[in-house]
Amino acid sequence: MSDEILTDKYVENSTRAIEDDILQGALGKIQSGLAKATQASYRQLDEGPELRMTAHDIREKTINNLDVVLTQLAAKVRENGGKVYFAKTAEQAVAYTLDVARQFKVKQVVKGKSMVSEEIGLNPALEAQGIEVNETDLGEYIIQVAGEKPSHIIAPAIHKTREQVGRLFAEHLGVPYTDDPPELTRIARKALRDKFLQADMGISGCNLACAETGHMTVVSNEGNIRMSTTLPRVHVAIMGMERVVANLEDHDILFRLLSRGAAAQKLGGCVSYIGGPGGPDFPDGPEAFHLVILDNGRSRILADPKFREILYCIRCSACLNACPVYGKIGGHAYGATYCGPIGAVLTPLMVGMNKAKDLCLGETLCGACRQACSVNIDLPRMLLELRYRLAYGDDDWQTKQVSPLEKTIHQAWAFLAGHPALYRAFLKAGAMGQKVFPKYRGMIRKMPGPVVGWTRDRDIQPLAHTPFRERFKTLSSKKVR
Amino acid sequence: MPIHTNETQFIHDIRAALGIRANNSDARQKEIFTDPAQPPEAQQMLLDTICARQHSDRMDLLDRLSREAVPLNLKVIPMKNEAEAAKAIAGLVADTTPEWGDKKSVVQWDHPMIKALALDSALKDQNVPVYTAAFDGSETSHNQKNLKRDQIREQVTASYIGVTSADFCLADTATLVMRSRPAEARSVSLLPSIHVAVIRKEQILSDMKELYALLKFDPDTRGKGLPHHMVMISGPSKTADIELVMVHGAHGPRALYLYVITGE
Repeated sequence: MSDEILTDKYVENSTRAIEDDILQGALGKIQSGLAKATQASYRQLDEGPELRMTAHDIREKTINNLDVVLTQLAAKVRENGGKVYFAKTAEQAVAYTLDVARQFKVKQVVKGKSMVSEEIGLNPALEAQGIEVNETDLGEYIIQVAGEKPSHIIAPAIHKTREQVGRLFAEHLGVPYTDDPPELTRIARKALRDKFLQADMGISGCNLACAETGHMTVVSNEGNIRMSTTLPRVHVAIMGMERVVANLEDHDILFRLLSRGAAAQKLGGCVSYIGGPGGPDFPDGPEAFHLVILDNGRSRILADPKFREILYCIRCSACLNACPVYGKIGGHAYGATYCGPIGAVLTPLMVGMNKAKDLCLGETLCGACRQACSVNIDLPRMLLELRYRLAYGDDDWQTKQVSPLEKTIHQAWAFLAGHPALYRAFLKAGAMGQKVFPKYRGMIRKMPGPVVGWTRDRDIQPLAHTPFRERFKTLSSKKVR
Repeated sequence: MPIHTNETQFIHDIRAALGIRANNSDARQKEIFTDPAQPPEAQQMLLDTICARQHSDRMDLLDRLSREAVPLNLKVIPMKNEAEAAKAIAGLVADTTPEWGDKKSVVQWDHPMIKALALDSALKDQNVPVYTAAFDGSETSHNQKNLKRDQIREQVTASYIGVTSADFCLADTATLVMRSRPAEARSVSLLPSIHVAVIRKEQILSDMKELYALLKFDPDTRGKGLPHHMVMISGPSKTADIELVMVHGAHGPRALYLYVITGE
């Protein structure tokens, strides 16, 4: 990833996010509304919510045969007149896009919302060539004007209030201040219409490609992706290599789930199927279509059977809306392109487990993400797996053991647990020793030294004077009586 | 431009990651991809259902479409025939004003059903020009085609109403489905502020499953397969990016009128 990675600031940024009242309000709104609506929309499926399991099977089969599926996709897109490029790295994908831009003498780019273009750092690379880049999704446009990064996969400016957007537009676009969302939308609509008409290149991501027909599909409610992929002379689409299905039947199932997971909709407002340019007989549409299929660390994930499942993800963002951790710390705290539970698994695998360790440690393992997932990915299992690799180290992933001391403590604990007499003695000593800690209403308020963190934000339950083992004896004898 | 597409090495790396050593791609290909000539039972049933649809079934679908369209802000208006639809469109032109600039013009597809509306004469009284966004056959050279393309872009950009038909309409999601053809410019349903679509009730399908069954397993619909581009439109453009407040008209058309010709 060429984008700035701030995963090591996770704790610091989370703390700041929790103190940000505006962000807390916005997150509360998205979680209370969207998360419930998504669950309801799964239940309303003809096939019922079990369709998520079917989708999981489809994804598993597709990913396990990804070589065959991608070969077919590339062949069929070429039949449709499109050009296909396979990019091993972010740098290759950026270089290819810049080549196409040079070939078409591109001066202005309009972009549909694309997380993968954030992942490869495409915007700064284009701008370094003197090319003007305009994000066209309203949320992306707002944060581009503000010079920020998206904080949610499908609602990138969710952390901004209408007043903030109003001041931003007044300052940067020279319009009178308003905090009326329809009026603000109209202002952006007007500003971007000119950009759409002037741009020579459109760039999009890809929600889901279909190999047998040779198309990639993109969805938006705003219509901005349709604009970006119809009006400019050339269209470049960038897709993560896993974002593909084999058959139209599979596409139907996954696309329906994608719309529900993303926005609790039956179907997104505008879905484009694109496999190539129309050619000389067509009166409009791009002259050229390029599909860039990106690896950028994905094949390494594919090679690890414990993490392969994360490639089933279709980036609907339902897990963000359900996650209690995301619901408190928001997207920016994750410090990388992908946030929420999906980011907590994906980011350590992409930027390095040690560098991004706090992301997987910060999640609660409550399982809400798995229930929300449109394809039923077992995210908690992989969060635990990451913690395991961090606890013991993993040479294949160049992962260093995080804390040898922690391992020693666990080994000591295991030893105690295997020796009951010693264990009892240890607990008894602990119950005596804890008397020195300050207490409040029977709870320990503060502990010193290396365990200070345990009581920083909460009081802790002391060890019982009479252990449960002892009490159990009297309890069970009472019952007999 | 790099001629090298990296494909061989890329696919090789995936195969290595999957731990596949045997050269069994052909066998796996057969296992993964379904054959358009052999519809599975579920899809065959859908095709049979579509085939057996009677007038009353179609009216039920139209009802369902009208219901589903309401929350999407898509206006579904049944019409007896083309003449009635043309009159309604003329009324729409009279009642609305352009969003950009102050001169009214309408742009349309080169399509049999749209031709039958005869919008030219329907809008004559109002003095509103009607452009057809298509080559007229006189453009033979590359240069002439490019000039015509520029002209079409200008006319579509200037027009505030775009009139199209569609291949299908899905009742379940209130979705217009359009496969791209040379006479049916994509921008007509995109750049104007108001999109007007005219279809017959026979074009209404139940849902995406039916659509995909036709597109893949029905030889007549499938033809040579999907063209290079297809679009599905469910209502006018909308956004909720500012504080999750729903606003219609982000980038595409702000309003969408669907006239369904029932033929009775």
